[in-house]
Amino acid sequence: MAPKIIVIDDEPIVCQMSKRVLEQEGYQVETYVDSREALERIKTTPFDVVITDLKMENISGMDILKEVNQRYPGTRVIMLTAYATLDTAIEALRERIYDFFPKPVKIEELKKAVKRALETR
Amino acid sequence: MPDFLRHLWQKWFKPKEELVSFAEVFEHFQALLQDHQKIMELIADLGEKSGGDYIFDRKYLIDTVNDLHALLLRLVKSLNLISGNRYVELYAALDRILLPLEAELRGRLSLTETMPYVIGFKDAPLDLPELVGGKAEALMEIHRRLQAPVPEGFIVTTRAYRRFLEYNRLDDRIHTWLESWTSGEVEAMQASRQIQYALLAGVMPPEVGREVRREAQVRPFWAVRSSAAGEDSELSFAGLHETFLQVPALGVVEVVKKVWASLYSPRALDYRRRVGLLAEEAAMAVLCQEVVASRASGVVHSLDLEAPESDCLIIYACRGLGRTVMEGKADLDRFVVERHPPFRIRTQSMAKKKSYRRVSAGGGEEEVAAPPEEWERPALELQEVQALARWAVVLERYFKRPQETEWAVDDAGRIWILQSRRLASPTAVKAPDICETCASYPILIKDLGAVAHAGVGAGPVFVVSSDQDLDRFPDGAVLVTRYTAPWLAPAVPKAAAIVAEQGSPAGHLSTIAREFRVPTLVGVENAVALLPQDQEITVDTYNRSIYLGRVSELLRYELIQSAAFEDAPEFRLLRRILKRIAPLNLTDPQDAGFTPEGCRSVHDVIRFVHEKAVEELMDLPRFLKRFKEARLWTLASEVPIGLKIWDLGGGISPEARGGQVSIEEVRSQPLKSLWEGITQPGVWSTEPVPVDFKGLMASLTRTLGEGLAAPAYTGINLAVVTENYLNLHLKLGYHYNLIDVRLEDDPNRNHIYFRFVGGVTDLTRRSRRARLLADILSRFHFKVDIKGDLVLARVLHLPREEMHRRLVAMGQLIGLTRQLDMQLKSDEDVAQFFETFVKRLEPAAGGTSPS
Repeated sequence: MAPKIIVIDDEPIVCQMSKRVLEQEGYQVETYVDSREALERIKTTPFDVVITDLKMENISGMDILKEVNQRYPGTRVIMLTAYATLDTAIEALRERIYDFFPKPVKIEELKKAVKRALETR
Repeated sequence: MPDFLRHLWQKWFKPKEELVSFAEVFEHFQALLQDHQKIMELIADLGEKSGGDYIFDRKYLIDTVNDLHALLLRLVKSLNLISGNRYVELYAALDRILLPLEAELRGRLSLTETMPYVIGFKDAPLDLPELVGGKAEALMEIHRRLQAPVPEGFIVTTRAYRRFLEYNRLDDRIHTWLESWTSGEVEAMQASRQIQYALLAGVMPPEVGREVRREAQVRPFWAVRSSAAGEDSELSFAGLHETFLQVPALGVVEVVKKVWASLYSPRALDYRRRVGLLAEEAAMAVLCQEVVASRASGVVHSLDLEAPESDCLIIYACRGLGRTVMEGKADLDRFVVERHPPFRIRTQSMAKKKSYRRVSAGGGEEEVAAPPEEWERPALELQEVQALARWAVVLERYFKRPQETEWAVDDAGRIWILQSRRLASPTAVKAPDICETCASYPILIKDLGAVAHAGVGAGPVFVVSSDQDLDRFPDGAVLVTRYTAPWLAPAVPKAAAIVAEQGSPAGHLSTIAREFRVPTLVGVENAVALLPQDQEITVDTYNRSIYLGRVSELLRYELIQSAAFEDAPEFRLLRRILKRIAPLNLTDPQDAGFTPEGCRSVHDVIRFVHEKAVEELMDLPRFLKRFKEARLWTLASEVPIGLKIWDLGGGISPEARGGQVSIEEVRSQPLKSLWEGITQPGVWSTEPVPVDFKGLMASLTRTLGEGLAAPAYTGINLAVVTENYLNLHLKLGYHYNLIDVRLEDDPNRNHIYFRFVGGVTDLTRRSRRARLLADILSRFHFKVDIKGDLVLARVLHLPREEMHRRLVAMGQLIGLTRQLDMQLKSDEDVAQFFETFVKRLEPAAGGTSPS
């Protein structure tokens, strides 16, 4: 079974590009621009890796992170953000985040991070 | 303004230069250089993101443009502080460039009242696709940048279209019909018919009609084509809009309306809705071109998408006019041709061409029967096939996507490019397993250098060391060079890839490489030695690998696979804003257009500011008049020029006492390096050089300061220094020498500017010396400009050690050329001195000169 990845970002371009790139690597990818819908999906379906934007309307990346950690301790979360501050980084690390990328993200880096995340599960 | 008024004006309103201290001016200069560097990095950053190697969003673009805006304002302010407000026009230039850019980010087409309704090809701007439409923009680009043969003509701009809508009050009506369609109230067909009818019934505004007729009257017939915003350049609207051939000059105005109406055909509406463009304002420019009386015409696909692994392109050809090709109505000759020189034909199949279309004498087209013996004769000669193949590859390399190019060959056998757009793949093409394939090719270089523009390119190695090499640079070669000097720019559009030993992704050449989307690696140590001349190589920046041979699988993968991202609105937006940011139009400071008014991009502005700031600092005598508070040291040395040193911080040892310092007490590295050259044994000859009679007479009769841009005589030799900086003003004999140097660990901050002028004796001899200096400096990779006997040279962004070597060489050069013009009696002398000097200087420059 191909590993399952969910990408959550309110910018459609981030979802589209991540989907293309990661599908090319052989993963099964779902994307959500609405974080509320994504959260509902996560509640019913486990994923191997969650890639989420930090700052989104309604449900933030931190909310997603907490939900995932509570339900699926084995799932890795990779956070993307245009607003990388030390505070958010520290808070995210405290919540057991796997990796943290400021946007724009280099595609190679994201691919590597996902690969590492899957290997270390 | 009368003279006395101007004097009064200047006296009262002249900027108060004295309000800023000398030290402050130098501080502003340093800040200006840093801001310049930051802007270069932001431009490089944006360029890098356009290569498909990053995931970014619109917010990133907005933030970056805001940062650019703030930095540019500060940069212009610094220049005005340094120069005593001599460049306030730059604020207007910033508005002119930044306002449309910000409008672009907000998603609005930015047409201003001053833009023309109709514009000739030679005057058409390259950076305003919203004015001329995508197809015209692409044609103008390949015409100007690649010198592609494009039939002459003019463009009825989108501003004319808007004026037409406004004049006939059509805007709201169109909007209402479109809304009824998207909400499902009416069928596409009905909305389309209503809008098209309204457009065709509209009256052409007199001012627009006048201009169209004026341009149209120069030829009896025209080919009239659509050029919608986005058409061809980014999105393929292939065949959606109308084209009319052989339109009589008097009929152009009416036909323009028909082309506009085709913007609202049911198919065009449906297409725009599918690609998400319906919400954006549609606008169409119209392209009017000379009609090519085609002997043959057709299309070329730069890649056979059905069999990409064959590495072939396909030419479809028919006799006569090509309309039948695009409409699929004719049986066509088909040539399958290899995609690399000498473009061998793999296979060809000839159609039975029983008839063909041609332009008829009275306008319009007519169908003509062909004699049976010609039915199966190829529509193209071999050399025409090869020339078309070459163009297809050149266009594909420029646009970085497989191209579908419409072409025609006229009776004289000349090839014409009618349009070029992306070749859309009918089905998803399966990517080959790249890792496995690449492993079978020998690797010449791995994991070296930095990526200036991502991509894959292949071709024979061509090492460029001097201007002369540039003229011989072949199409499709890999440019290999030691330096990323700006003078390499003309070779960039022709290069399949670039590999440089020096330079950074933020440098000028990298920026230009991105403008032309040429895969580029910089900072690749030893590249010139490792990559043999003429050897076919493949450069893959993604893996920072350079392979021996042509890795076709990789090239193909790159061409097809990366096409995916480039359709996203953010990428299109980024490329659009880059057109207002990255191109460098102001390349020659001596050019009459090198003015604030001449700035058309962000890059132009910073180039201008940089040049002028350096010029201001080079003009020390003017400064000395402005600032009298300085404390000066005198350098004690065996070279008796009484050099005064003004330390702005860290340039002189804190232990130094009294008024004199020795060179050991000087901490300024650039000054120490230069002095090392000047004081080398034998360099500083104090023996008087014999002056012949002619030279002596000239020296007696010549008025000081009459030389080109010669600064006023100040009587002192002055060095303004910090630990990393030197601004040196020398007057030796009658030569004026100005040198400005920054020398740090970060190569991006380093520069040497050199300016040499004047000298006793007549102009011919002085020019000879200028020529000699220029020859020697070019040999050390300085960019050199000569104007009369004025020599301007500069070198940028080299590592500390390379800069040091050049400073030592420059010190020697100053000493040796001190009274040279007296001895340069003939042009042969120049050649002889050149040899002597170069031999002498070579060890100091560390063998970096080209052979």
